[in-house]
Amino acid sequence: MAKRTTILKVTGLRRAFGPNTIFDKFNLEVRTGEAIALTGRNGAGKSTLLRCLVGADRPDDGNVQVCGNPMSETSPEIRRDVATVIDDLDFFPDLSVVEHLDLLARAHGIADPDELVDDVLEEVQLVPQSGQLPGTLSSGQRRRLALATAFVRPRKLLILDEPEQRLDSEGLTWLSQRLKSERQKGLAIVFASHEPELVDSVATRVIQLGAPRG
Amino acid sequence: MSSLEAGADDFAYHEAPEPRALTPASPRELKQLIKDWRAGRATRNVLQAMSDAYVAVFGAVMIGAMVVNVVLKAQRTIAQCSSASCLSARAILPWAAFAAIVAIALATSRLFGPVLASAAEGFWLLDAPISRAKLLRSRLVGAVLAAFLGGGVVGALVSALTGSGMVEVLVWSGATALSAAASVAFAAAQQGVERHVLARLAAYVFGVLGVGALFSVVGVAAGWFSAGLLDNVGIELGVIMIVASALVLLVSAVLAGLRLNRIRRTRLVSGGALVSGISGAFFALDIGLARDIVVERRAIERGHVHPRRGKGLGLEALVWREWQRLWRFPQPMVVLAGTIVIPYAADALGMSTLTPVFAALALFGATIPLLGGLRVLTRTGGLARCLPFSLARIKLASIAVPAILAAIWAVATTPAYLGFGDGAVQRTVPDASMMAVATAAAGLLAAVRWTQAKGVDFGAPMVASQAGAFPPGLVTNLFRGFDVCLLTTAPMLLGLSPFWSLGIAAIAATILLNSMDAEALRARQAEQQKQLEAQKKQRAEASAAAKQRKR
Repeated sequence: MAKRTTILKVTGLRRAFGPNTIFDKFNLEVRTGEAIALTGRNGAGKSTLLRCLVGADRPDDGNVQVCGNPMSETSPEIRRDVATVIDDLDFFPDLSVVEHLDLLARAHGIADPDELVDDVLEEVQLVPQSGQLPGTLSSGQRRRLALATAFVRPRKLLILDEPEQRLDSEGLTWLSQRLKSERQKGLAIVFASHEPELVDSVATRVIQLGAPRG
Repeated sequence: MSSLEAGADDFAYHEAPEPRALTPASPRELKQLIKDWRAGRATRNVLQAMSDAYVAVFGAVMIGAMVVNVVLKAQRTIAQCSSASCLSARAILPWAAFAAIVAIALATSRLFGPVLASAAEGFWLLDAPISRAKLLRSRLVGAVLAAFLGGGVVGALVSALTGSGMVEVLVWSGATALSAAASVAFAAAQQGVERHVLARLAAYVFGVLGVGALFSVVGVAAGWFSAGLLDNVGIELGVIMIVASALVLLVSAVLAGLRLNRIRRTRLVSGGALVSGISGAFFALDIGLARDIVVERRAIERGHVHPRRGKGLGLEALVWREWQRLWRFPQPMVVLAGTIVIPYAADALGMSTLTPVFAALALFGATIPLLGGLRVLTRTGGLARCLPFSLARIKLASIAVPAILAAIWAVATTPAYLGFGDGAVQRTVPDASMMAVATAAAGLLAAVRWTQAKGVDFGAPMVASQAGAFPPGLVTNLFRGFDVCLLTTAPMLLGLSPFWSLGIAAIAATILLNSMDAEALRARQAEQQKQLEAQKKQRAEASAAAKQRKR
């Protein structure tokens, strides 16, 4: 069995908005092949935590390390290793669906990405929309495209914020299987979710954030 | 018995009595009702609001008076000029303004409708059993009137600034006003039959005519040909244009009015949504966001493209995609090519000293649409985070293609700085080349600054004013880009060597292309500060504990 290496290490993380502390002294270690599910009611701090983990938000205290490097959103090494799907993903208005995926794959150094891009498009069921511009996609299709961007590139850590959002039941089943297979291949995953089916099938550990609804 | 077991008799119904025939409200009544609701919710009237904002009103009146004064003074000065360049400008520039206004009016009308309705009106009123034409007629009239006024002001300004007499100013102002109104009415008539090909074609034709007219100014000033007939018959031609425009306006307005009932709700509401999005962005003085909305709308109109395979790996792939994107929507390159005439026209009109400023401003405006990739990659961090490069390198890759085009622009505009108009400053080829390069750098960097500007931070400390508190970024955002243009071209304006401008451009480039990384540096500094404070706190706690132990 391959030795599990630490991919993500979080120590003493704190984030507060004014007097409202979202989380404090939060520690987490994620190794290869582990999938951590963050659960909790709305406003418990799942998205804020994920934003701190990917460097989109600045924690008030604590450290985040990815593969031993301190988290910096601008670091090319971090960008190479971490694939993220959180709510701030933007698209080029004049590039089609398939061109977005082709660009990302090539930018990450995949020399002949056609097959990979086609496979991912097939998986996310966006083949009929491959020539469409992002503005014409439905919210569910945009979500699928956002997920596809994470799968056409090399990655060591996958961070997803409620990936089940706007997916139909078929899409949810696909996502569960895909994430499970990614985990089994050694990818480290951290995701926030409200979907028990996804959490049960993918997560190796579940972290409940915030007090449960009384 | 549960409801599921209910027999067929349970579903029997008694026929209700025939409802009394209702008379739907008229559009006028509905509009009056909405007006009453709105007026009822207002907490102050227009006069009270104006007295609150009296400083702004006073400022606007002052600036307006100054502008009128400047225009009148310039008009008097230029009217005395009798050189070929002045005469050609006087004869041809009103034509250029005429053509440009028609092109702009048609393009804007096609983008917004021109007849439009808000989402609320679409939902609550357009589905009601009332005449849609009656409801929308005021919108059509409003759009035509707005175009008439806007066109009139621009036409009057251009002909006044070229030194035309009062009658000529009035004639050209009327011609431009009527042509703008006719363009909007024509676009509305096209909207009624869901056809846009003619409006689009006409916009392109008049755009080309406008640039052609500018070229003619240059040609006359350079002595390639003479304005000839146009020199003496400006008023007559203006009157002909008034008659022609009035005819088009009349026919188009009648057709548009007859077709108002046929415009689909989705088309009306999408124009309204665009207006509300853009007006929201303008309220926050976020012009970048307003442009994003328009770009998104154009892309949605296109909807589908023939996908092209990318080329290269790493950053090269990004550069290739920029190039492919530009070929997909090539209109910005046409506009960029059109701006080449600006330095020539400025020089031809005897404004040699101001040529770099005008040229840089024109390039600034023309380059913004070429930087769509940079805009997407910098407005949110999401997409840039997917790419394995530093932000500085992503920015360099995004501006590579526009930079190449700006370099070509610099080469194409170099002869303009050699000096060929009446009284133009004569320069050597190396000096002219340096000036062209510095001007191109100013325009490109100004566009980069404008493109990557962040929206106003309303969470930042506010500045108090008579009109209420506002974040300082609200005002400074307006000048983004213009500042780089003026700062970089200032040495040339002052008659200094263009190397000074190139030096300023180099500094601006260093700052602009690393600005986001500067944010990262600040974050790192904040992190170090945090660690220092934590250590200080630990030491203080340790010393307090030691004191406690001693006691």
